[in-house]
Amino acid sequence: MKTTHSISWQKLGAACLFTIILGASSCKDSFLDVDPQGQQVATEFWKTEADATKAVNAIYANLRSWENVAFPALVIESTPSDEADKGSTPTDATFFNLFDQFTVGSTEGSLQSFWTGQYRNINFCNQVLDNIPGITMNEGLKSRYLGEAKFVRAYSYFRLVRAYGGVPLRLHIPKDNSEYNLPRATRQEVYAQIEKDLTEAAAILPASYPATDVGRATKGAALGLLAKVSMYQQKWTEVQNYTNQVMGLGYNLFPDFEKLFRVENENSVESVFEIQAEFVAGNNAANNSQYSQVQGVAGVPAGGWGFNTPSASLINSFEPGDPRRDATILFPGERTPQGDLIPTTVPNIGYNQKSYVPFSRFVSGNQGAEQNIRVLRFAEILLMNAEAANELGNTTQALTSLNRVRARARGTATGVLPDVTTTDKAALRAAIWRERQSELALESDRYFDVVRQGRAAEVFGPKGWKANKNEVWPIPQQEIDLSGSLLTQNPGY
Amino acid sequence: MKKIFTNLSVWVVFCLLSLNVAFAQNVTVQGRVTDAADGTALPGVSVVLKGTQTAVQSDANGNYSISAPGTGTLVFSFVGYASKEAAINAQTTLNITLTSSSQELEQVVVVGYGTQRKLDVTGSVATVKGEDITKQPSTNPISALQGRVAGVSIANNATPGASPQITIRGTGTIYGNTGVLYVVDGVWYDDISFLNPADVASISVLKDASSQSIYGIRAANGVVLVTTVRGKNGKPTINYNGTVGAQHVTNPVEMTNASEYATAVNEAYAIQGAAPLFANTNLGEGTDWYDQVLRTAMINNHQLSVNGGTDKSSYNLSLGFLDQDGIISTNNFKRYTAKLSNDFQLMEALKVGYNVTGTASRSANVPNSIFRALYTASPVVPVFKAPGAYGDPSDFNLGNGSNVNPQATLDFNNSRTDRYRVTGNVFAELKFLKNFTFRTSFGGDFGQDDIRNYTPQYFATRGQNTNISTLSVGRVATRNWIIENTLTYNNTWEDHNLTVLAGQTAQRFRSYTMTGTAQNVPFNRESDLYLSLGNSAGRTIEDSGSLSTAASYFGRVNYSFKNKYLLNASLRADGASQFYGGNNLWGYFPSIGGGWVVSNEDFMKDQTIFSNLKLRASWGKVGNAGVPINPTTLTVTQIPALIAFYGGIQNTGASINTLVPPALFWERSAGLDVGLEMGFFEGKLNVEADYYSRKTEQAIFNIPILGSLGTSNSRLLGNQADFRNRGVELVATWADKTSTGFGYTISGNVGYNDNVVLNVTSGSNPIDAGGDGLNNAVLPTRTVVGQPIGSFYGYQVTGIIQTAAEAAASGITGARPGDFRYADLNGDGRIDAKDKTFLGNPNPRFNYGLNTNFTYKNFDLTVDLQGVAGVELFNANLGNRFGNENYTKEFFDNRWTGGGSSNTYPSTSLAGGQNNQTNSFYVESGDYLRVRNLQLGYNLPSALVTKWKMQRLRVFANAQNAFNFFSYRGFTPEVGGAPTSTGVDFRVYPLYATYNIGLNVTF
Repeated sequence: MKTTHSISWQKLGAACLFTIILGASSCKDSFLDVDPQGQQVATEFWKTEADATKAVNAIYANLRSWENVAFPALVIESTPSDEADKGSTPTDATFFNLFDQFTVGSTEGSLQSFWTGQYRNINFCNQVLDNIPGITMNEGLKSRYLGEAKFVRAYSYFRLVRAYGGVPLRLHIPKDNSEYNLPRATRQEVYAQIEKDLTEAAAILPASYPATDVGRATKGAALGLLAKVSMYQQKWTEVQNYTNQVMGLGYNLFPDFEKLFRVENENSVESVFEIQAEFVAGNNAANNSQYSQVQGVAGVPAGGWGFNTPSASLINSFEPGDPRRDATILFPGERTPQGDLIPTTVPNIGYNQKSYVPFSRFVSGNQGAEQNIRVLRFAEILLMNAEAANELGNTTQALTSLNRVRARARGTATGVLPDVTTTDKAALRAAIWRERQSELALESDRYFDVVRQGRAAEVFGPKGWKANKNEVWPIPQQEIDLSGSLLTQNPGY
Repeated sequence: MKKIFTNLSVWVVFCLLSLNVAFAQNVTVQGRVTDAADGTALPGVSVVLKGTQTAVQSDANGNYSISAPGTGTLVFSFVGYASKEAAINAQTTLNITLTSSSQELEQVVVVGYGTQRKLDVTGSVATVKGEDITKQPSTNPISALQGRVAGVSIANNATPGASPQITIRGTGTIYGNTGVLYVVDGVWYDDISFLNPADVASISVLKDASSQSIYGIRAANGVVLVTTVRGKNGKPTINYNGTVGAQHVTNPVEMTNASEYATAVNEAYAIQGAAPLFANTNLGEGTDWYDQVLRTAMINNHQLSVNGGTDKSSYNLSLGFLDQDGIISTNNFKRYTAKLSNDFQLMEALKVGYNVTGTASRSANVPNSIFRALYTASPVVPVFKAPGAYGDPSDFNLGNGSNVNPQATLDFNNSRTDRYRVTGNVFAELKFLKNFTFRTSFGGDFGQDDIRNYTPQYFATRGQNTNISTLSVGRVATRNWIIENTLTYNNTWEDHNLTVLAGQTAQRFRSYTMTGTAQNVPFNRESDLYLSLGNSAGRTIEDSGSLSTAASYFGRVNYSFKNKYLLNASLRADGASQFYGGNNLWGYFPSIGGGWVVSNEDFMKDQTIFSNLKLRASWGKVGNAGVPINPTTLTVTQIPALIAFYGGIQNTGASINTLVPPALFWERSAGLDVGLEMGFFEGKLNVEADYYSRKTEQAIFNIPILGSLGTSNSRLLGNQADFRNRGVELVATWADKTSTGFGYTISGNVGYNDNVVLNVTSGSNPIDAGGDGLNNAVLPTRTVVGQPIGSFYGYQVTGIIQTAAEAAASGITGARPGDFRYADLNGDGRIDAKDKTFLGNPNPRFNYGLNTNFTYKNFDLTVDLQGVAGVELFNANLGNRFGNENYTKEFFDNRWTGGGSSNTYPSTSLAGGQNNQTNSFYVESGDYLRVRNLQLGYNLPSALVTKWKMQRLRVFANAQNAFNFFSYRGFTPEVGGAPTSTGVDFRVYPLYATYNIGLNVTF
């Protein structure tokens, strides 16, 4: 402690300066290299079979998203038809009317939502299709996964091409931003790709799954969708061929039409493809299907929002005594077979019973979150078979398939829904179309079905439908803007 | 970083050991420091033995006592006064008067990593003293700045406990961390709501790029430096400040009553072609939901502090308690603060100290949705239809737009946020070799937030019920630290004054969030609310975290010659983990400034106009690393929405459903500032004017991407745009005291700012935003070249469609009489997106304030006015409708009821057709002027006070926001919001006035 004053200061100064320099030099760039916390980085994915399994699961999970099953899907695929009205109270969500009355413009948000929702499915599929081939895993499972992805991609493109016509055909993950912006493919090119995917899927996919895999795409689903896609292109030979194949896979009609749509009869013998949804206690993020909620009975705690309601025209369209009328529509004042009383004070003339989940099943979260969405049923396979057979002059087969559907609908009732016997091609076609309306009512089939039948102007004209315009909806304006007008608008919009 | 600690500790110990301090023979010098003008005592004056670290401060009566060699010189300095040197010359009593005559230039201002005389500052730095902050009855220190600093715009959030939003010289950045940087005693924060305003000694607002530049990485939106109160040499001084007050809503919006509502809904139904909802519209007054739920709320605010010290050590301990009820019933905020600081002069050359603040708060929350619910709730619904039975909107078939009974919302809401925070720093400061000072400081910020929400099993209405109770518990932990080392060289020789600073800092920001939920948790008492009491099935748990780091080096040179010519230059280099992995890890931020003190020139000696005249100009660059952590790392998404079900069994799903930008660059701003400072009438009038222009380059934006990419993110981050804030500021202050004892200060300030987007890298793609919570994907703002950031964008209303023929000719699909008529701007005969235009600017062009203070004998009076002008708001409450939401009385009285009834207000069918699109009807002026603060105080006569063994006893009453003048049709024009959704009024806590009575006691 006897060092002189000034020297000690100098030492100190030098020491402190040294500290700064050391501190500085020790602070290498590695201090700045931090990993994302609690998030797996993408470069660690696509390594194992488990990764492949998870990625395929994501494809199916996304099918129950809002864009796929709720408002965006309903306003584009269901409400504009003559079988459905907007629903709810007159001033609620009035944008439904823009679709229902064919006054919608290209900036309406649901056009973009539905578009994006389908492309999200496609992205999940492309992720699997691009990445799974490089994973070392069970080869049989690998090819099945690829088949499943192709099925969902085809299903999504089918929903897009029906809604918008030709759309950008995105078949791979973009490598960089030079691949972000794609032009519209033609309608034919989109259909060709859908058929290619479905044909490849049908060749790989199994006819059925063990109980713990029920709900995945099957061979029957691929062939059935292929039949529907072919029907939209009037390829009747193919429709007949594919439906015959599906009819050989062991499907059957579920005996009770009303019970077919209840939760306990999901994935029944009639089910060709269903979007799977469940209620998981406490996990509202997984209980995210709002398909049932948005169509549920308005003003009832376990009901729902009351949209996409049956129209008077639908109610009056059923043949006298058709049991499907009561099984399809929840009428005010009705007591359901499950014991729920629909109040008479509800604001609408009825609600969709095919999305109905008995009130007693409601716990919390979205009402009816557990209801599967019946995408393709064996009844429709039969009706497609009937229509193709009739178009190809095979009246007997047409009548057989058609009357099979009517017989089930009739159930135990007598004196109603007599077998169709006409052999006149046009009359039989009309009968099949009418059968489709009654059988598939409020299952989001009617609108595009009438359009593909070529009689939309006749059926929807009174609601404002115009030929050479309303066959497709407008391409979302934001998408056109973001593409720098590489995307072109549909005629009339 | 470990290495830094090791090095530091070794050398600090070495430094301590090798010190050999010899003191000369000392005398004790005592005295009193007073104001030269009026002779009042000056407390808190710094008394320093020149050339040493020995320092004391004057006490509340201006007295000081210091031990010093008889040959030494004492330097007296105090914020706002000219420093004075006095040789001791072996005297033991030195009474000093300080003069504020040339205060403008001699004032000491806090700048980045140090202090400067105001004379030496070449940038734009505004200082607000602690006493001006405590005079405001604000619970947050930043809120107290409103109207006091030119160019600083503050939007208060009226929610008790919430922080105000502060914008310095316009919006400087759009994405990520858009807030200013707060530096409290050297520690960096994003929010300082933990700080009790009474603990603030001074606030410096660094406004221009050159003064911000030393904080490079985080300075893009401005820097606010807060210095807290430290111990002063002298006997222990005990201070008590307390207020008790009441808060009451000032500008309620009148809604329709039941009869009017029923009429309005029936009219809307008729327009939609539906039968009337109400058979009888004669329903009387019905429920006034605002009246039901709003209340006059109490506020209690108390502070107790002890302050004192010797020339070897000093201390300050302060305790604070705030208990504020919200004007919405059940809303309450309580805050407890404790702050302790100690300084130790260990040796003549070595000073160490610390500063620690502990804060605990509890907020009984109301759900954000309540403000919207109160607006939309129907007056026909009774609060209760029978004892214990809530009025149910479903009884009236009101539909989804108005399906809530707000009383039930509040009654079944049990939401609580507890926040705990310990923060502060320890430092050591060593002077050596006469001119050098080395300072090292370690600061930490450790916080924990507990958020608890409980929804019981209940049935209130058909829309508000649940069959199972849910408890959700969230924990957020924050662990941030910052280490700073600076070396300062300061020397004055002949006419030169030079300060050189070199420094290094390292920072780490870490947070953890964990949230768990369980169902069916019983609730008989508070102690039941644990997740483990709930069902084991269906429990969820989520956790996440974030980590980022930054390393920085900086240096600065301040030079002045003859106190006339000034030069400041600095350079900072920052590395941020957000930019790791590219070629952009380091950002470099230089600055330079020059000044000319004209009034110190010889040729100015004989003039009498100016007491001060100074010109200054500066330029600097600042950066912004406030982007998401790891923004360019593509990650795997594994969320519950990707769970697939097969046969009813859950299967975890994961995939890649996002896009990330390939690279991100530092966002940089470069700014120029030119200022003129003038003093007249012997310093009674001071005027300061500034012009600035700051350009933000390669601003980071989230821009929309093609939906056909199929990503879950509909936007992609990138360096997308350039924009500019340009403006002028003017501050004029007149301060005087007459011989009769009447003293007054009148200070006015005004700032004008022009915000414009100069360039969008991605081309003409607009950036639409502001739609959070609004229906039908309405995005009311657009950011595009040539317009201010976040401008309101929509249709121009030209009138109301009166007839069916006009509707058919309107070009609007689905138009009906009573709908808005929109301008067909492109003249193609139809109204579509191409006809949208810019409707308003949510960025205030003018901010102004007028602050006055009058003292006469024992009375003091403060009147502060504050306002903004040249700003528009989007009244989303009015136009955002799903169905049968309530209407304002004003709308109802002016509505269209048939051909010719109104050409400005539409029919009540606002939810129909294109009426709820963003349009000029919903865009309104947000200009306002308010009496921000009124305060009258009285100091009890000192004779009386002394008898009570007190130094001071003051009683006062004040009112905040008592008078507000605006034309806006919402509750308050003070809306705020993120940069691209600023001014969108949707769920804003209503404006209220606060009336307090209070007491200041000093022992």
